[in-house]
Amino acid sequence: MANLNIVSICGSLRKGSYNAMVQRLLPSLAPEGMTIKPAPSFAEFPLYNADIQNSTGFPAPVNTLADAIRAADGVIFCTPEYNFGIPGGLKNAIDWVSRLQNQPFAGKPVALQSASPGPVGGARVQYDLRRAMMFLDAFTLNKPEIFVGNCASKFDEKTGELKDETTRGLLKQQLAAFATYIARVESKD
Amino acid sequence: MANQQLDVLVICGSLRRGSYNAALARTLPALAPAAMKLRDAPPFDTIPIYNHDIQDATGFPAESRTWADAIRSADGVIIVSPEYNWSIPGGLKNAIDWVSRMKDQPFKDKPVALQSAAGGILGGSRMQYHLRQSLTSIDALLFGRPEVIVTFAAQKFDEKTLELKDQTAIDMIKLQLAGFEKFIRRVSAKE
Repeated sequence: MANLNIVSICGSLRKGSYNAMVQRLLPSLAPEGMTIKPAPSFAEFPLYNADIQNSTGFPAPVNTLADAIRAADGVIFCTPEYNFGIPGGLKNAIDWVSRLQNQPFAGKPVALQSASPGPVGGARVQYDLRRAMMFLDAFTLNKPEIFVGNCASKFDEKTGELKDETTRGLLKQQLAAFATYIARVESKD
Repeated sequence: MANQQLDVLVICGSLRRGSYNAALARTLPALAPAAMKLRDAPPFDTIPIYNHDIQDATGFPAESRTWADAIRSADGVIIVSPEYNWSIPGGLKNAIDWVSRMKDQPFKDKPVALQSAAGGILGGSRMQYHLRQSLTSIDALLFGRPEVIVTFAAQKFDEKTLELKDQTAIDMIKLQLAGFEKFIRRVSAKE
């Protein structure tokens, strides 16, 4: 299989985020040939306003994130759920890049992961993201789904080490499935 | 609060000046029942992107507190918003995410009605159902029907003045506001 360059996007900005812990784990669980790097941050994006876009154009960090997505063979989201939905900051980033010509998610393979302290593990954020990604013509991997529920008990709070073997196994399975999926959906031109 | 004046806050989900949803929000005072006074929410455009580390280090940003205070002090809230990518605009969701973390969480038990305008055939309805989902998580009291969904917005607002010209939409807004008045009186705490 060809080398795959993947970018991961964490939906939480806090340093001690469990989703950032998941994100940091991914390179060590990826199948051979798959490289996973964190995407440039969306922390400095202004809130979307079409008047900004029309007067001064797209802010530089928006273009930087979009370029990274365009250049990647696939994108993995690791995100918490905020109020039964997508974190506003992450949605704001998606809203900005969605307005670019050569919209970066079009035709892009995407995989979803979420960790949360509750029993559902962020399922609702994933289904909302799936819908937004569908509108943007991304190719979103179906299964296996990764819901890291009760995440506080599965990670070492200090080292960020994943202590749960079931989750580790599922993450490996998803990354392997993602590699196969990318090969299947990639443009055959 | 049978005959008392109702103070209702209007939140617009779009930041752009020429927004159809801002235009929709501007039509509301003229269409509201006599006992309902509407006021615009303070802007949320300078609230930073939510980061729990900011909250822990320097507390809630002043703009998020101002926004929350406006919600707390109102008898009800009307959110008028576009749909971005089949869902809630990130900026609006970010404002909700911030205030959802506050101790005296402002949407708790707050009557909320929803409206949207959009260029297409679904009129922003997908955004409304996502908002219903998020506002449920923070214990808002959501008004049901009638829904205000302004489809094909470009045809229904005057191109220059942005005045709402569509009589069906105007009638639906009047019905919703009258229904929302009753709803607020019914669900308000009976001290």
